[in-house]
Amino acid sequence: MIELQGITKVYRTGSQSLEALRGISVKIGKGEFISIMGPSGSGKSTLMNIIGCLDTPTAGEYLLGSDKVAGLTFDQLAAVRNRKIGFVFQNFNLLPYATAWENIELPMLFDGKNGRRRRERVTELLNAVGLYEWRGHRPSELSGGQQQRIALARALANDPPILLADEPTGNLDSKSGEEIMAILTDLWRAGRTIVMVTHNDHIAAHSERTIRLFDGQVVA
Amino acid sequence: MNLTLPRFFWSEYRKRRKKAALITFALFWGTLSILLLMAFGQGMTTQFQVAFSGFGQTLIMVYGGQTSLPFEGLPKGRPISLYPEDVDYLKDRVPEILRIAPESYNFLQVSANGKEINRTVHGTTAEFGLMRTQVPQMGGRFLNADDAAEGRKVAFIGWKVAADLFGSADPVGKPIVIDRIPFTVIGVLQKKIQDSMYNGPDAEQVHLPFHAYQQIDNRRRINQIHIQPREASQSKIIEARVRTLLGRKYRFDPEDRYATSFWNTIEDAKQGQAIFKGIEIFLGIIGALTLLIGAVGVTNLMYAVAKERTKEIGIKLAIGARRRDIIQQFFLETVFVFAKGTFWGFITAFNVVHLIRLAPINYDSFGIDAYLLRPEFSLQIFVAYTAILGVLCFLSGIFPALRASRANPIESLRYE
Repeated sequence: MIELQGITKVYRTGSQSLEALRGISVKIGKGEFISIMGPSGSGKSTLMNIIGCLDTPTAGEYLLGSDKVAGLTFDQLAAVRNRKIGFVFQNFNLLPYATAWENIELPMLFDGKNGRRRRERVTELLNAVGLYEWRGHRPSELSGGQQQRIALARALANDPPILLADEPTGNLDSKSGEEIMAILTDLWRAGRTIVMVTHNDHIAAHSERTIRLFDGQVVA
Repeated sequence: MNLTLPRFFWSEYRKRRKKAALITFALFWGTLSILLLMAFGQGMTTQFQVAFSGFGQTLIMVYGGQTSLPFEGLPKGRPISLYPEDVDYLKDRVPEILRIAPESYNFLQVSANGKEINRTVHGTTAEFGLMRTQVPQMGGRFLNADDAAEGRKVAFIGWKVAADLFGSADPVGKPIVIDRIPFTVIGVLQKKIQDSMYNGPDAEQVHLPFHAYQQIDNRRRINQIHIQPREASQSKIIEARVRTLLGRKYRFDPEDRYATSFWNTIEDAKQGQAIFKGIEIFLGIIGALTLLIGAVGVTNLMYAVAKERTKEIGIKLAIGARRRDIIQQFFLETVFVFAKGTFWGFITAFNVVHLIRLAPINYDSFGIDAYLLRPEFSLQIFVAYTAILGVLCFLSGIFPALRASRANPIESLRYE
């Protein structure tokens, strides 16, 4: 499903360069639940961004399904992010002026889905995360846990096969964190591939496998 | 129809309403300026045409002169005069002539109603009225063919002559004495603006049938001949033919520019129209530059919006927005800001023009008011305005929109 071969990412600022990833090779099969761990600066987020097609590697090859990601245009990458990958961020990244309903609807708007399909799917997702009653509320009117559940629902809007979660419980209290992890686990059990970045061993324990990074390389 | 994106836009826009107010005002002012300036330019061009046609419609006037070249043994310096029979002589030989009329005039005493004034009195024919825009007020008429055929002693007078002699009373049917010969007033000239003239404006002239005039002024020669071509484009051909024919008749070199002279109002009108068109375009450019200031304001606003929304753009890119989705969003906002400012500018300009047009023109002293008090809108103005607005709106929106659409998703997501 996801195959990274010899991925290197170098950031250049003026005459200085920083090697964030050094020849990483990773395979993630369909339906796997993977956690990526490592200290700050180890390259976790960079790896996540490359897997999520938000960034491109300096060297190496990334196969997503049968697609070579390196050859895709900006808008083709946007289409991949829209249909194949769902993002869950540590700080939720919901649009502040949009309601819960509208936030969930947005990826479907970019995909060009019609009104009826959007309405059905948003209703289904809001019910699935238990927040249908909160559909007209803006993020500032929701708790952290509720916001992350809305963010999760948004990530699932176009029914992507892959979910990328970057510290999904990092800004939540333990109860809300457990709720989110329960939903992620259910999604994995339902057949979705989940890649999660975390600092927390307890959270990582929910995954099948952990990839540990240090200094831009896979150490375990 | 999907209203989610416009709703998002509106929620965001409301937060910036105060910031956008000055820019909206700049666009309002720019629109008002460009529309008013173009309306004044167009109005002045139209009024020039009206004023010019107040003098005459596609008119060539032929005058006598003095030869400046020897011809067939005759010396230079001979005076060349025109005579009444030249009218038929030319009409029979120049097929391009539509109308032709003789004119003689003299400064004479005119009295009526116990009042006495001195005015230029003209002798001419009915065709003169059509060529020189002698439109009568209600209840009257200009000279006609029967006046000449029956030797009627009738007079057509300018509105100032009527006011000077009869005050506010209707002069039609009343007697008027010209150089001790009684005439009956048959019509009064309708008020008009007139920017070209000889012997003063038509408002102060008196016109008599040619044969009746000759009983007052017994000079055989006439002052000038008025010619109207069938087509305005034939004016130069007519000039050449008339010069050749008169040269043959009065024996002067057709190349002699001083033997006869011409006042070709068709050529004058072309030059005048070109000047006014130039003024119109110049005013339009000034207006467009004013609108440009507003457009620069919109560009700045949209750049600021793009920066403010960096995070939002990052979120949208992360969940699958394409470049065109981001561009569309910024364009929608640019168009909205433009539409709001320009709509009110448009409404205000329309009302200002309407109000100015209500102001009366002083026909008695033809002046600047005749040009300035009749601004007007035309399809041409709206097409030009829409084109300028479209270009400015596009340019104001496109660069901030492109910059926003080229944002790096990761850097945008990190932006706080």
